[in-house]
Amino acid sequence: MSYIISEEAQDLLKDVHDFCEKEVKEQCKDYDKSGEWPKEIYDKAIDMQLQSLEIPEEYGGPGLSRVDVAALIEEMAIADAGFAMTISASGLGTKPVLIAGNEEQKQRVCDIIVNGGFGAFALTEPGAGSDAGAGTTTAVRDGDEYVLNGRKCFITNGGIADFYCITAMTDKSKGVKGISMFLVEKGTPGLSAGHEEDKLGIRTSNTTDVVLEDVRVPAENLLGKEGEGFKIAMQTLDQARAWVACVATGIAQRGINEAIAYGKERIQFGKPIIRNQALQFKIADMDIKTETARQMVANALTRMDTGLPYGREAAIAKCYAGDIAMDVASEAIQMFGGYGYSRDYPVEKLLRDAKIFQIFEGTNEVMHIVIANHTIGR
Amino acid sequence: MNILLCAKQVPDDAVEVSMGADGKPAIDKIDKVVNAFDTYALEMAARFKEAAGEGEITVLCVGPDDAKNGLKNCLAVGGDYAYLASDEAFEGSDMQGIASILKDAIRKIEADKGIAFDIVCTGKEATDMALGQGGILLADKLGTGVITNVIAFDTDENGVSAKQETEEGYRTVAADLPVVLTISKPDYDPRFPKIKAKLAARKKPIEAVAADALSDEGKAAAGEGNAKLKILRSYEPPKKESGVKIQEESDEDSALAAVKMMTEAKVL
Repeated sequence: MSYIISEEAQDLLKDVHDFCEKEVKEQCKDYDKSGEWPKEIYDKAIDMQLQSLEIPEEYGGPGLSRVDVAALIEEMAIADAGFAMTISASGLGTKPVLIAGNEEQKQRVCDIIVNGGFGAFALTEPGAGSDAGAGTTTAVRDGDEYVLNGRKCFITNGGIADFYCITAMTDKSKGVKGISMFLVEKGTPGLSAGHEEDKLGIRTSNTTDVVLEDVRVPAENLLGKEGEGFKIAMQTLDQARAWVACVATGIAQRGINEAIAYGKERIQFGKPIIRNQALQFKIADMDIKTETARQMVANALTRMDTGLPYGREAAIAKCYAGDIAMDVASEAIQMFGGYGYSRDYPVEKLLRDAKIFQIFEGTNEVMHIVIANHTIGR
Repeated sequence: MNILLCAKQVPDDAVEVSMGADGKPAIDKIDKVVNAFDTYALEMAARFKEAAGEGEITVLCVGPDDAKNGLKNCLAVGGDYAYLASDEAFEGSDMQGIASILKDAIRKIEADKGIAFDIVCTGKEATDMALGQGGILLADKLGTGVITNVIAFDTDENGVSAKQETEEGYRTVAADLPVVLTISKPDYDPRFPKIKAKLAARKKPIEAVAADALSDEGKAAAGEGNAKLKILRSYEPPKKESGVKIQEESDEDSALAAVKMMTEAKVL
């Protein structure tokens, strides 16, 4: 891992590595099979304050740079991508508030996270995936409140979040400019988690429908102004793409680690298979891809930290890291031969975990549209 | 209640040590960590302090300058203050010398802060040398009682009561305060540092104790020249030989072959 990080982060990296080795990596194997959300692991992670890494210092966070945090998130992803995604998706849920919220809203959600809660971001609907503007969830003003109705789907942390940032149409006549964003806290009457997805990978994360049935929220829970919801959502995703790319990079790095360890141990034709140059070159190719993805993540996050535009870079990072996570996981299986195809060995899980990174936070096809728009101009 | 923890920085015991070309263990490239038994002692002390709702834990280490990292880790998981006794004059000390340095450092800290330590904790042994002498020698020099291999302790108006691990099981041992406790592995693990506590610990001062704090007795015991224990030679333990696999035609034949081998080896 060649992130250039602060001394503080290097110190924390050892602790996070230690935590993941002792409390996450092996334990998640069983949860990957059962699909159960491993609350006891998350409780320990919260005890270590891993859920609040992205919270700005002025709102009670640790005050690390984004690249510092990325190194720590990648370490979590090396242990288990679903675990890292739960932490990262909580950061995703917080971003709309940090982007568009007022001081009170920012402090409120940051307090929830710092005190051990999780957030969720709810944009996608059954009929509104890549076409995110096609959502049918509505928010109708009623005095000092908005009344929300609709159904969101594929929401990471949907069943376990303490607050949600939810998009809803406040003016259908205006298309995407009629979408608004609302902060909805757990326990609000009418808000519930619906169908839980039985997923191919990242099975230690929780993904559900979020159902809104006459959910009344105070008008002050509107984030930004009416009609700004789609813009806030796109800004949120612009940032979040770099973070999911970071998790995908962690999956790829785990693939390299496992392939090297197995290659040194597996004897064929009287020598460890890693001594075959064909396999050494395979490892080198895996490393080239993974390190390139990591540096693209670092570039996008550094641009965010320094106030430079980052939409193009985050989209490149997300698209590339998702693709290479699939490639590297597949090559890791190839290194293991037949054993790699078995659930008794750790690499088939990587391929299952990697696939979603070509899909969520904007599919890689949508990423091409985003990148082309930045590069060519609209 | 004032608790002092004696912590040693050792090479990471998760890494296998091999012999270097100079005939000494090649540990330069191995990460340094706080001795595992000392981390158990710190966790036990931290839990005791939290249950009592009062008290302070001071961590003291004799070692080189890079031992500050270990001390900062201790400050992130329950330690309130940290002291590093580091001086060229301390290098090469044997356990008698280390115990003398610790004693003088403890007396200096007590005098400087105007306190007296009630409990001095340390791991039952260090994972590098595994001598198991430090706590006992320190208690002798401090003139206190010592309870070894402790896996739990509590205090009351009569002093300290400790659960001691023995080869047969456990026994409860009581002693007056102040006391030295050497701590074994309890049935829980040390906590992981909280992110913000770790960042705050990095900014906390590490107080220094140098050779000028030593008494005449300490000066006569510290350093390689005063060491009574000399390491003549270091060597790697023999590699474990692989076992014998018994695989006869049938399970019965395998069992018979195993019994025959054990009989020949006079195991039975």
